[in-house]
Amino acid sequence: MNDELKSIWLKFFNWVMGNGPRPENEVLPPEPPPDLPFTQKPHDKFSRFHEATLKERYNQWLEIHGLHIFSILYSALSILTCLVIVVLLLATVAELPPFGHERNPANNEVIRRYVEHGWHETGAQNIVAGLILDYRAFDTFGESSVLFTAAVSVLMILGNSRSSKKYKFKQLHVYRNDDTILRGVAVMAIPVILMMGCVVVINGHLSAGGGFAGGAILSTALILCANAYGFESVRRFFNERIFIVSSSTALMIYALSKGYSFFTGANQLHSIIPKGVVGNILSAGLILPLNICVGLIVAGTLYGFYALFSEGDI
Amino acid sequence: MIRVLIAGGLIITGLYVLATTTIGIFRFSTMLNRVHVASKCDTLGALLVLSGLMVLSGWSVYSLKLALVIVFLWLCNPVASHLIARAEVRTNPNLNLICDFIDATKESEGNSNGDN
Repeated sequence: MNDELKSIWLKFFNWVMGNGPRPENEVLPPEPPPDLPFTQKPHDKFSRFHEATLKERYNQWLEIHGLHIFSILYSALSILTCLVIVVLLLATVAELPPFGHERNPANNEVIRRYVEHGWHETGAQNIVAGLILDYRAFDTFGESSVLFTAAVSVLMILGNSRSSKKYKFKQLHVYRNDDTILRGVAVMAIPVILMMGCVVVINGHLSAGGGFAGGAILSTALILCANAYGFESVRRFFNERIFIVSSSTALMIYALSKGYSFFTGANQLHSIIPKGVVGNILSAGLILPLNICVGLIVAGTLYGFYALFSEGDI
Repeated sequence: MIRVLIAGGLIITGLYVLATTTIGIFRFSTMLNRVHVASKCDTLGALLVLSGLMVLSGWSVYSLKLALVIVFLWLCNPVASHLIARAEVRTNPNLNLICDFIDATKESEGNSNGDN
């Protein structure tokens, strides 16, 4: 049994690598004829009695005028493409329904459902939060993963300066974080900004704000800290590893919890997530943890972009 | 009535300051002058307009929020202008052709011998 398997594997391996026996009726490509000793080579371009062939003259002409003709063609084609797109878009605009008409396709039962049953179904006081994090949660999930993917790819491209010191770019101006005025203000401002960001994230289902806005505020606090005290002081509590771990954990929690919620909702199963009383901090089901996840991802990503583009490292 | 008059006076003065500084941003020729004028615009003009609004709304949470906005602007705007001006001083090599200034950064760099 084992030997049989081995022989089959060997056959397969040989077949993959092309080592097998040649088939009998294999057609080989025809070999090129050997060079004749007196084959006439084409004349040199600068030889004395040489008349330029048609092809050579064409090549010469192309060398002189080709770029010009190419640029003319290029601009003509680009203008044509633009015109086609403009006409298509204008035709589409002409076909659109009038603005604010009550029979527009945007005024459908979905809006009415959101406005009338939004409180009851999502438990969120802020209907927008209930919309983007409950009804359309996978849309928000896609946005956060796009942000995370962008940050990770920038990290892949730019973030290797610590491992390979010799490729470090030479800085034109010496960058020093020793400004007394900025430090004095940052001491007062950073705690307030952090608190504001946390409030915006945590109250996302009660008032305006949410994960994206709060995460942006949190990242400004990190950027201010980096500018006032240097990137090393931020790296003490937020380095590359923590960024990767926190962002991917937040994405995983988002995907799993929202997947569970959608699964139970779609199959009419009983969900263990309580809705809570509308208006409390601990209410609205999954919206609060999802807001925190989105806030973590956004804060890390925005700060990561800043650090990567200014220092080449998080 | 008096409150409306005071508030209107404050707001109009603030708008005057904002208008003159906006003209000044376009009229001045060098970077440092423009930064100076722009910081004036945001500190004094915004202070006058916002305090006019505070007088108009009286004692309420709304004016408390406006006061917080004023505090935030006065905290952050001078620092931002200072940082922009510092960046200009550090990065413009032809600055001494435009104005007289003592290059404190270079002197300190010479003393500390380039600690970065």
